[in-house]
Amino acid sequence: MTTTTRILTVDDSPSMRALLNHALTSQGFDVSQAEDGIAALDWLALNEVDVVITDINMPRLDGFGLIERLREGSRHRDRPILVLTTESSEEKKARARAAGATGWIVKPFDPAKLVAAVRRVSH
Amino acid sequence: MFHKPILPHPHGLDRVTVMQGQALASGDKNLEYSTVLGSCVATCLYDPEAHVGGMNHFLLAEPPPGYGGSSLDEHYGLYLMELLVNEMMAKGARKSKLKAHLYGGANVNRNMMKIGTVNAEFARRFLKDEGIVLMREDLGGTQARRVDFRPASGQVRLRTVEDRLAPPVQPTARPAKALGDVDFF
Repeated sequence: MTTTTRILTVDDSPSMRALLNHALTSQGFDVSQAEDGIAALDWLALNEVDVVITDINMPRLDGFGLIERLREGSRHRDRPILVLTTESSEEKKARARAAGATGWIVKPFDPAKLVAAVRRVSH
Repeated sequence: MFHKPILPHPHGLDRVTVMQGQALASGDKNLEYSTVLGSCVATCLYDPEAHVGGMNHFLLAEPPPGYGGSSLDEHYGLYLMELLVNEMMAKGARKSKLKAHLYGGANVNRNMMKIGTVNAEFARRFLKDEGIVLMREDLGGTQARRVDFRPASGQVRLRTVEDRLAPPVQPTARPAKALGDVDFF
């Protein structure tokens, strides 16, 4: 693949955004970041992306809401969306699945596994 | 309030020990969190409007092989910090209202790297990056500490204790459960 995979990470924690940015840019991905679901929708209205990685617990619009909003329209209907969260309950996982998430990753994340997941869903 | 010293409770309290690797939050007036710290760090968070408090207890571990980050594995510290913040929010606290105390981070074993100092620096940096106000800290030194924290009022009692009472210095391993695994739908 010659083009760089573009990723949008959505997380309200600046510390987590920094960790994700380091883990993904060091592997050659083109990373953009948003601090919650609303900021992600604003960014996605103007930019193209290959994969979205989103947290669940965020102010204004949480991860569930973001996934539902993205799946409503045709533009992001098939966009890979990975959930990256501290939530480990099966109920929340099922809710993410029903909303249209592509995959579910429980923190603390393993950088190598995250990168492998991004590569898998972006191909 | 958060800065006031703790006073004896007239009716007795349910005391919960916060173990290394845990993050708990509550608004229960009859609850007191308690922990003993050597090199570990405990973060106490309190929302004075929601009257919800929480405590975590962590010690950063060595990074996994191949991870090119800092000298200790901040993934796990970050995870426990986020877990604490999320537990607080689930109990009705708001992140923008959170006030913090930090305790622990002693270098109790002089033969080891200054692991307490590194943990304390991580905790301070996390709070600064997240915009959470640090109201009080008692970090570093060489003595173990015992912290009692009442989550509903934010009251704290801090005492130095004999080093033998602190848990052995054993950096927190990643959870045995295979966290970080990916479930594809």
